[in-house]
Amino acid sequence: MSYILNRILSMLLTLFLISAITFAVTNILPGDVAMMIMGTQSNPEALEGLRRSLGLNDPLLVQYWRWISGMLTGDWGTSLVFKEPIGPLILQKMTASAMIVVFSMTIALTCAVPLGVWAAMHPNKWQDTTASSAALLGVSLPDFFWGIMLILLFARWLGWLPSSGFVDPREDFLLAARHALLPSLALGLGLMAHLTRMTRATMTGILNQEFIRVARAKGLGERTVVWNYGLANAVGPVMTVAGLQVGYLFGSIIVIESLFNYTGMGWLTYQALLNRDIPLIQASVFVIAGVVMLANLIVDLLYVLVDPRIRLS
Amino acid sequence: MKLPAAFRSSKGLIGAVLVLMILLVAIIAPLVIPPDMATQMDMRARLSPPTLAHPLGTDQLGRDLMYRVLLGAHTSIYIATAAVLMSIVIGLPLGLISGYVGKTTDNILMRLVDTLLAFPALLLALTISAVLGPNLQNTIIAIGIAFTPFLARIIRGEALRVAQMPYVEAARTAGNSDTRLIVRHILPNIMPAVIVQSTISLAFAILAEAGLSFLGLGTQPPDASWGLMIQASRDYLDRAPWTALVPGAAVALTVLGLNMFGDALRDALDPRARKGAT
Repeated sequence: MSYILNRILSMLLTLFLISAITFAVTNILPGDVAMMIMGTQSNPEALEGLRRSLGLNDPLLVQYWRWISGMLTGDWGTSLVFKEPIGPLILQKMTASAMIVVFSMTIALTCAVPLGVWAAMHPNKWQDTTASSAALLGVSLPDFFWGIMLILLFARWLGWLPSSGFVDPREDFLLAARHALLPSLALGLGLMAHLTRMTRATMTGILNQEFIRVARAKGLGERTVVWNYGLANAVGPVMTVAGLQVGYLFGSIIVIESLFNYTGMGWLTYQALLNRDIPLIQASVFVIAGVVMLANLIVDLLYVLVDPRIRLS
Repeated sequence: MKLPAAFRSSKGLIGAVLVLMILLVAIIAPLVIPPDMATQMDMRARLSPPTLAHPLGTDQLGRDLMYRVLLGAHTSIYIATAAVLMSIVIGLPLGLISGYVGKTTDNILMRLVDTLLAFPALLLALTISAVLGPNLQNTIIAIGIAFTPFLARIIRGEALRVAQMPYVEAARTAGNSDTRLIVRHILPNIMPAVIVQSTISLAFAILAEAGLSFLGLGTQPPDASWGLMIQASRDYLDRAPWTALVPGAAVALTVLGLNMFGDALRDALDPRARKGAT
């Protein structure tokens, strides 16, 4: 219990640091929020008045305090580009992205784990070479290149799936899933390659250990040895890497959602960055870093459930 | 340190050859190709498939893709190398001090590094680039900063491991100063890890540069960049798929070469990983 409490306390501290870093990075921005709201042609006195009313002349610490207390109490400000309150905007885009994040993680895990285990079962044979080479190629190509190739193949040539756009799953789940499929595949392929490499490396290490030899010597079938004894020990490390990849996914969705015009969190962040919409940049970056941290915390806690050694120590 | 061992596996050898070839192209291309070759527009041969006159075809403005991809190698390699060097310059002392001094210093520094790791590297790089204004120099700074926490974390772990070894203890008892201990005894022993991580970081930096440029927040036209070329190809995919395939293949070959060499290097330098790990 104290382990979990410890983790949550340290998470709160990290969250505070994340907010401080986000605020610091976006505040060295040379842009002027007041000028962005009123336009470059506005008169200097009106600009000064707006700056004063927005509190832009206050010391940074005061501004930070106002921002973070707003974030904590649910007042996230208004986006300069979308002219909408940021809180509901982010919530809506986050739900859209959740769909492709879950899809791509599912695609990646269901393919990567068997592939990695298969490669590890036949070290240095053709099975290993094939899986490892495919995975190596997978990690060497940018996600957006996969995306372009998928558009070319499935949307332009075969015409099976739409090449861009987002549909709300609450309106038409099937159509929404069809729109989410190509972006999820584009994200999932790179992820799958990473996880295959990781599973193979972990499993190879495990299959060389004493207890596996003992299991084999006891006369257990290869399938039982690999899946029940081997994989059970690989679940923790693979899960940790999958959790760490949530961060990688949230970096990649910025590129992929922009490519597929899928209006989720990545697309929103990109629009904010392109238009220097400072309040929206701050909130988006803070939320993404927060979600990534939360994902890692969940994985850590699950690890405790999966691996009794940690629970007992 | 057994560096030549990295070349003994076929993976390492292929990787090294690929990396060497691309490095040569990156260095030689701008010296022998006149810069206007990459911007010269041949309006009669727009989106031309590979021909004798244009061996890799042309783009939507009739610019020769071979020259553009060759000059793009310079931009990509230059940005990636400078960014990784920057992350080493910041990350090495950070990790060394954290791992060697330990205690409160280590706690504070690593708390900071862990926080930075919560930001997806690409998001951090994009934000920094957007904040500073996208251009070549700021792309380097953005990627360099985004990669620093990874390197610092790995170096800290290695420094911690090496600092506890008996020979370091012996050197300390012999009256060596902290600085001398770090520079003469710890640093040389963590260099293998730094070299391996730098090679892998280079591969990621190439991908990051391509991603940033693809989104318009990295290298800016008229500089030739692989990410920019892929971005420009998007509207002509049906008619001219080679406009995406040529720069895509360039990125893939470079990153593949670096990853293969990095893998082989790790296997050769780290005996613990030699057994089995990819």
